[in-house]
Amino acid sequence: MEVKSTPSQQPNLLIDQAIVPGDVVLHLSNISTNKIKLGLGLRQDADTIKATNMGLLKHSRPNKYWVESSTKRYIPTAGDAVLGIVIDSKPDNFVLDIKGPNLAFLPVLAFEGGTRKNIPKYEVGTLVYVRVVKANKIMNPEVACTDANGKSAEFGSLKDGYMFETSTGLSQMLLSSPTCPVLDALGKKLSFELAVGLNGRVWVDASSPEAVVLVSNSIMNSEFLSDTQQKIMVKTLLKKIEL
Amino acid sequence: MEFVNLQGIRLDGRRPKELRQLCAEIGVVSKADGSAAFEMGNTRVIAAVFGPRAVQNRSQKIANRALVRCEYSMAKFSTGDRVRRPKGDRRSMEISLVIRQTMEACIMTQLMPNSQIDICLQVLQADGGTRSACINAATLALADAGIPMCDIVVSCSAGYLNTTPLLDLNYIEDSGGGPDVTVGILAKMNKVTLLQMDNKLPFDTFEKVMQLAIDGCEAISKYIREVLLENTKQLEYRRGL
Repeated sequence: MEVKSTPSQQPNLLIDQAIVPGDVVLHLSNISTNKIKLGLGLRQDADTIKATNMGLLKHSRPNKYWVESSTKRYIPTAGDAVLGIVIDSKPDNFVLDIKGPNLAFLPVLAFEGGTRKNIPKYEVGTLVYVRVVKANKIMNPEVACTDANGKSAEFGSLKDGYMFETSTGLSQMLLSSPTCPVLDALGKKLSFELAVGLNGRVWVDASSPEAVVLVSNSIMNSEFLSDTQQKIMVKTLLKKIEL
Repeated sequence: MEFVNLQGIRLDGRRPKELRQLCAEIGVVSKADGSAAFEMGNTRVIAAVFGPRAVQNRSQKIANRALVRCEYSMAKFSTGDRVRRPKGDRRSMEISLVIRQTMEACIMTQLMPNSQIDICLQVLQADGGTRSACINAATLALADAGIPMCDIVVSCSAGYLNTTPLLDLNYIEDSGGGPDVTVGILAKMNKVTLLQMDNKLPFDTFEKVMQLAIDGCEAISKYIREVLLENTKQLEYRRGL
């Protein structure tokens, strides 16, 4: 493969670099014939690939490019597990707010063994842990309370506990492996239940209210802290609760 | 009135082709999806962006693109003498419209059909050039909200007083009665999205003044770019990635 390009046009130089909207990321003429796949935040404009969001340009071999950023809003993607709030119930669908550009529909039959007879009674305001099934820009996203095999797999309404909103970046961090340091440190001392939606909503439940407050505060604080800072922060918070 | 003295210094001590000091901060309103504060000298504005979210008023829904709404308002205490303006006065309505059209040019609205984006702009301190400052602040806030944009819009004004083209007019120069050209450009694509002029100018002078405003825009776009890059780096740095 012969790639003749000036340094500014070399795509690999921009990988893992911060970019802003309008930046030319790639020149298609520089790439050999194989296809490339564009993720969030990149668009093709004639012969170039341009950024539409600010963030870090990421590349995964062999041909995937996307922009990694942290926002307070969520763009639905099929397969994501999210936390939605019921805002209306229609005969065929529950209408859910998933922090996206459009309201999401949860069909009343999209439950494990769901029939017309056993439709769950979700009141307005119920928090539901769901999976995005269909997501395209023209239609409202469709979500379901089952995994890909039709099993309920922990999806469904979340009772009690406490829900708070964070950025999408933080929720991705909480779900990443190896376990994020803040959860690791908390898990050694406390027992609690956690549901993280990729749309930046986090639900926490524990036996005592103190534990719920502590867990949610330390998660909210951890967004801009390094690994060691997170561990120290959790330690100081835990000391306070033991008094 | 003498706006430029014999040494070529303006009333506030600037040279004719000098911008005022710029200062920008991202993420100043925690409840908004994206927000920014922008200062040009003594002009200070705050921009907050909400959305893309479901359209609130169903009759305003557009099937093939996002609805962009813009609300510009000046704080009662923002000017020297306290003027009581009703909320929807003609001046702020006109500026809201201008800013909305300018921002719509860069937002990729076709990617978010049936949704709505609200841009709220509040002038905290007005010292000329609030229109440009609002556009710059809105760009930063939209980028912070993660709304897809084809490019960065920047705006700057220029005027012509005492037979000298002046960059970035302040309030005294603005009310001096001379021509005032406000230009908004898409920084990378080099396209003009906004061009407004009060008063008349001969054609050859107009070209000079407009070129000066475009040069000003380029300087501002460089600054805005730096702020955005710095913001991204800071996020990553603090997270220790």
